[in-house]
Amino acid sequence: MDIVRKQGVFDHLLMLEKAGTAGQEKQKQDHLKELHAAILTLRAKRERLFAETAALKDLKDKLDQGLPLEEEETDDFMQLEQFLLKSRLMQLKDLQTVYHLIGGYNLIESKQGKSVCVSFRTAFEGMYLETYNLEMDLRRTVQISRHNIPPCVPLERLAKEHLQADFKAFLEILSLHLNALAGRKQQVLLIKELIGTVEIIERNQLCNFLVFMCKIQEETEAAVLCTLEYGDLTQCLPTRVTIESENKTLAESPQWKKNQVLLMESPVHSALLTMRKVGSIV
Amino acid sequence: MRKNKPVFVGKQTDMGTMEQKLNEELKQLQREIEVCEAEQDSYVRSISLQHGEALRGVLQTLYNKKEKGDGTLKKDVSKLITDITDTEKDLRRQTNISGITLTECCVKTLEKNERKTIQQYRLTGHCCFLSFQVEFALVDIQDSDSSLQKITDLNVILDGAEFKDLCAFVSRVEETKSLFLFFRTLRLFSERCKQRSCTLQYFKEKYPDVVRLPEGCRSEVMMIQSPKLPGCTMSIFWKISVSKEGVVQPKLELLMKMPEQAQKMDTNNVMETAPEAFRSLLKIFGVEASIESLIKSVCF
Repeated sequence: MDIVRKQGVFDHLLMLEKAGTAGQEKQKQDHLKELHAAILTLRAKRERLFAETAALKDLKDKLDQGLPLEEEETDDFMQLEQFLLKSRLMQLKDLQTVYHLIGGYNLIESKQGKSVCVSFRTAFEGMYLETYNLEMDLRRTVQISRHNIPPCVPLERLAKEHLQADFKAFLEILSLHLNALAGRKQQVLLIKELIGTVEIIERNQLCNFLVFMCKIQEETEAAVLCTLEYGDLTQCLPTRVTIESENKTLAESPQWKKNQVLLMESPVHSALLTMRKVGSIV
Repeated sequence: MRKNKPVFVGKQTDMGTMEQKLNEELKQLQREIEVCEAEQDSYVRSISLQHGEALRGVLQTLYNKKEKGDGTLKKDVSKLITDITDTEKDLRRQTNISGITLTECCVKTLEKNERKTIQQYRLTGHCCFLSFQVEFALVDIQDSDSSLQKITDLNVILDGAEFKDLCAFVSRVEETKSLFLFFRTLRLFSERCKQRSCTLQYFKEKYPDVVRLPEGCRSEVMMIQSPKLPGCTMSIFWKISVSKEGVVQPKLELLMKMPEQAQKMDTNNVMETAPEAFRSLLKIFGVEASIESLIKSVCF
């Protein structure tokens, strides 16, 4: 009795196993079929590429030898025309990328020339920062329709002064403002990153007013308060630096007079790094 | 029961090895295709570089065909030509707005994976009549929530006499990798140089007997000398200085030279007071008017 029952169970199990593995088998076979198909496609692609490359090499050899090109309406030549065009387009696109990397504006005109969108890239010391966009309506007079320029930048005033008269000058001066703002913002970030001991007391959105405290020595509470005012919004350097300290003699010392000049003539983070190197601050 | 299992197991390994073989062949084909594509790219690039002229001829024929509305052009070729002309138009505009003309641009991809791309750029070009060659590497890192683009490795080579005063600025730019600042300052600097050159040229043409440009109109020096008073010269030094941080400032100075006899007669001490007087003049009247008044003062 037991044996018969066991056999029945085993048969059932076997059937289930077969059914299960049959499903898996089918999957595997389908997968193999896909692989076969992919291989055939790639083989065809490889053959085509080999032929194209050979034709291209022929062309290159002909050109190298100074033979004239005949205008043949053969398929090969048509392919080559495509290559030449593609390579020319690639060259041009590279140049476009470069202009964006070095100049920073990207102008996109709408189809009917009714509006234009300008992108301003900002960068400071090799690091690319925010991109701002501005859309202008060109229909009757040039007018700004949409933008994401921060409110602290005097966009309206700049537009009033330059937009109608000289489009290029407007773009330039706006770019100067945006880049300077990004640069000043980045300097504050770099202070926090590179010189952790300096405490930022006050700063504003326009980043044209900065107050920070530097520690003179490790153990004591001796500190110097530096106030940087950036009067020229198109610059990353301050127009006024004030040094204050409870220790009056320290603030008046020649070392700190030098530091004051340093803070006027170089970006904040570089100045602070130099000051740390010479031991003025910790 | 038992008989089935061994056969089944055997079939499994068969399929396993078959799959492996196919995958290997697939990978092999992909590798061959990549090699072939790279070879094509290098042929195309070298043809572009060495036979630019021949290429332009062929491309021009194609452009003409398209303009004439020749139906023999295939659709994708036609689209490529449209893309090319659009991009050329944009580039002309970029050149105009930025003031920078790029004559050569080489891009090489040094590293490329899913997250990071490093490309090396080498540019040659000019801004007004000042030529430059700039090399830099651009690192582009794309994370899931942020992206970063940074310049590493900046190298600048400048050509021309005007550049002797830019050494400090260029070293600083290379140190801080400030590509933007470099080009912005370059443009400002060349505009000032052009302004200077035009002004000097203008005065030379207007007062040919009195004005001398001993080093040409692209130099810093302008000499004013009345033919009636040989030996007495006024030299104007028009320097355009660029600070380390890219602040461009024109600085004009006046130097007077007089022969000894004239100096003896210089009761008003004109020689010593002239430079300061010139500086005041500049502040009130600006450059052109000040220079003009100086010239007129010797044209009696």
